[in-house]
Amino acid sequence: MSSLLAAFVEGVRHLRRHPLRAALAALTCAVAIAVTVNVVSLSYGMDEDIRRDIARFGRLTIDVGRAPVVRPGAPRASFGEAELATVRATVAGLDATVVPLRSERVTASGDAEVRQMVLAAVGVGFPRTLAISLKAGRFLRPEDRGLAACVLDESSAKSLFPGVAPAAVVGRTVRLARAAPADVPVVGVLEDPMTYRALFEAFDEGRGARTLISALLSFRNVYVPEDAIASAELTTVSVVLPDEARLATAYDRLVKVWPAGGVDADPATLAPINVFARKAWMDAFGGATQTGAFLGNIVWILVCLVACVMISTLNLVAIRERYDELAIRRCEGARRRDVVAQVAAEGLVTSVVGGLAGLPLGVLGADVLARIVMFPFRFDARFAGVAVLVSVVLGLLSSAIPARRAAALDPAAVLSRRLS
Amino acid sequence: MTAPLLKLSRVARTYRNGDVLVEALKPVDLEVDAGTCVAVTGPSGSGKSTLLHVLGCLDRATSGTYLLDGRDVTTLADRDLAAVRNRLIGFVFQRFHLLRDETAERNVELPLLYAGVRRAERRRRAAAALEAVGLSSRAAHVPGRLSGGEQQRVAIARALVKEPRLLLADEPTGNLDSASGDAVLAMLDALHARGVTVVLITHDPEVAAHGSRQLTIRNGVVAEVHATAPGA
Repeated sequence: MSSLLAAFVEGVRHLRRHPLRAALAALTCAVAIAVTVNVVSLSYGMDEDIRRDIARFGRLTIDVGRAPVVRPGAPRASFGEAELATVRATVAGLDATVVPLRSERVTASGDAEVRQMVLAAVGVGFPRTLAISLKAGRFLRPEDRGLAACVLDESSAKSLFPGVAPAAVVGRTVRLARAAPADVPVVGVLEDPMTYRALFEAFDEGRGARTLISALLSFRNVYVPEDAIASAELTTVSVVLPDEARLATAYDRLVKVWPAGGVDADPATLAPINVFARKAWMDAFGGATQTGAFLGNIVWILVCLVACVMISTLNLVAIRERYDELAIRRCEGARRRDVVAQVAAEGLVTSVVGGLAGLPLGVLGADVLARIVMFPFRFDARFAGVAVLVSVVLGLLSSAIPARRAAALDPAAVLSRRLS
Repeated sequence: MTAPLLKLSRVARTYRNGDVLVEALKPVDLEVDAGTCVAVTGPSGSGKSTLLHVLGCLDRATSGTYLLDGRDVTTLADRDLAAVRNRLIGFVFQRFHLLRDETAERNVELPLLYAGVRRAERRRRAAAALEAVGLSSRAAHVPGRLSGGEQQRVAIARALVKEPRLLLADEPTGNLDSASGDAVLAMLDALHARGVTVVLITHDPEVAAHGSRQLTIRNGVVAEVHATAPGA
């Protein structure tokens, strides 16, 4: 054991005598660790943001509503007060908040002309279906009637009033191009939970677009009082439960009345009225982000593998130049494992030193990148541990072949110059 | 009657050089008693170094049995051979074979490092060995700053420090001027006088004359040239 420790110390001494070579290997490792920290920090940050975002979509909410698309020739199902009463009766005793919603497509304009938006007539209990706070102003109150007031999603506010701060949008007027055009004052702006709108929209256009809630959950709506849309037809009825257990009970009861509409449901197979658990929708959306994390992992693993090959090559060249030294050591009593310990120590120390240097480099790089591409960056203390662990593995892997080569050296061949 | 320190029975060494099988050492029977100084002479390429490497457990015999201090070393595992080299055998080479980045003191300490000797003890014994070869004042110098004679004396100190039973010297004066060569030979004589068994490989008859027993090797065949009775 003591001679192994001595071999380890010899390895460290060797590095001190050859600082340039050691620095080159350490630098290679530092770059690999910096990339690792960078990628992990960014994907961790993005994952954290997305999880936070989707947590605001109302995990304890169930939506009951008409299918957004009907089969050609099929009649559109009636979904109104009778169905609302059925929902209330079904979830009775579960301490549920039932929020009816009517919606229609509308062309809205503010400072700028915009495309169609969703006009959503909601009750004052609507905010309970989400975990989103107000960015500015207030939400609708019972005394708000008809088109006397509206609340905008932050994204809608940016579209209608480009370059205007949310607080300054409050008090402005939105013109709704309906049968009877109306100028509706803005009383509040809801914050946008979509940190990565492009990412959400890619998902929305793909998997989620066929669900009846996806349009509403794109958060590009104009909210008006419950009686602002006179139609007897409802778009959805949202049911908010106090906990997961009652959520499951309510869902079980509702799917006995209407069939469950899956996240990925085909419009052709959707029933006229369906039950959607937002929890399933959120889980599917959260799962989609795992692909990004997986790709990130591939990137840093590949970079580490390339670094490993580079350091290993450096070490192999160094071993070839050290045949004499190694032969002398073997001659004077070094066992093969002493030689392995020395070479491994050299690899390990350079990699760990490189890893420790790469850690702040990665943090700095991620910070700079975050400022440039506006991606999130979260550094966690655990990453330091991961970086050191990756450095150790890198050091051991990169010195495995050189150590084996060094240990297999025939001292007699070297000393008699049959091998040089 | 005591057992010989070295006993070789039909020991041979062949190796492959490309497609050619080289018989570097043809089957040899040899016994060397403890305390003997054996000089082995022969021309270049005759197999002298191969014999030395086999005797020094740096190389394994292809066939035959080699008993060192009564122990069959032909069947030992690598770690046991390393221990044998570390504890029983001292080496002195023509090209000195010192670690060029290390000081004289650290070179001398090297065998003790692998013997697991603690640092303070290593330094004490290395200092004593360097003093014995008259190089105390050069302990902190790296080989590049020492003369050839001094480097060879460091190599002798490195061999001395482990108090070997067998000293193998391969052309120890081959790279030295005559004064330095004489000094090195005097040290080897002194070691022999202290009871260390010395095997001296040389092609120089004057150097070979230091041996109490002389062997010659030609084309891998070892033959006895002259024997002097112990104590003569």
